[in-house]
Amino acid sequence: MSATLTVNETSITPEVGVGKIVRKPIPILAVAGRLDASTVNVLERALMRSLLQGAKVIIIDAGEITYISSSGLRVLLTARRQVRERGGDIILCTLSPNVRDVMDMVGFTALFTVFNTREESLTAALGVV
Amino acid sequence: MSIKRQLVVPAKHDQLAKLALFVATGAEEVGFDDGEVNRIELAVDEACSNIIDHAYAGSVGYIQLEIEIEPDRSLTIVLLDQGQPFNPESVPVFEPCQSLDQMRIGGLGLHLMRQAMDDVCFEFGVPGMGNRLTMVKNL
Repeated sequence: MSATLTVNETSITPEVGVGKIVRKPIPILAVAGRLDASTVNVLERALMRSLLQGAKVIIIDAGEITYISSSGLRVLLTARRQVRERGGDIILCTLSPNVRDVMDMVGFTALFTVFNTREESLTAALGVV
Repeated sequence: MSIKRQLVVPAKHDQLAKLALFVATGAEEVGFDDGEVNRIELAVDEACSNIIDHAYAGSVGYIQLEIEIEPDRSLTIVLLDQGQPFNPESVPVFEPCQSLDQMRIGGLGLHLMRQAMDDVCFEFGVPGMGNRLTMVKNL
């Protein structure tokens, strides 16, 4: 038995204002499954793709993550450092109780940008890009 | 009356989910709720990842997982390996800080193990056993 993790990659290009200003796409990574040392490379690759495409803000919808270990936390922290260097951020949303508990144990919940819904995350992302 | 079970698997990352399921089933039998079962899984996952990455460090080996279930009381987990002794004192102590930009990642796994379990005890070079890690969680 081995674990599975899937990352559904989408992006939204927000159009705002009367003049229809089109901003850069905001990648949304909907992650599902068990995030441990055997699966973390799936998320790592998805994050790397978004970074290489120039993303400044990346939204990670964690609603379907059933489990996260320190391997997953390390990848989140590393990706956050990379986007912060370009003035951006990693935004997490819809954390399950188990994921929130593990993040609380290392103090991440209070330090990462976390929202309850994807909509709130998008609104916040618009303020950054 | 306690129940004892044992599982032996190759020391590979693709075995982590199997080890977690084995220990989660025992934790449920003790009577732990979902949140505590998740924490117990986490402790075993972190411990086994350390064995794979540091004790065996790529060489072939096995992890022996023993659990002792005491319904309505406690779960005792013993992990045995024959790899290089892993000295937890050599790992920098993880300290949550006020800034993610300055946070050091080293020691994260050990920190989670100690947070998740009531007792964590490392022993090295145990005659006939190799390295032994014993973790206890009380209900």
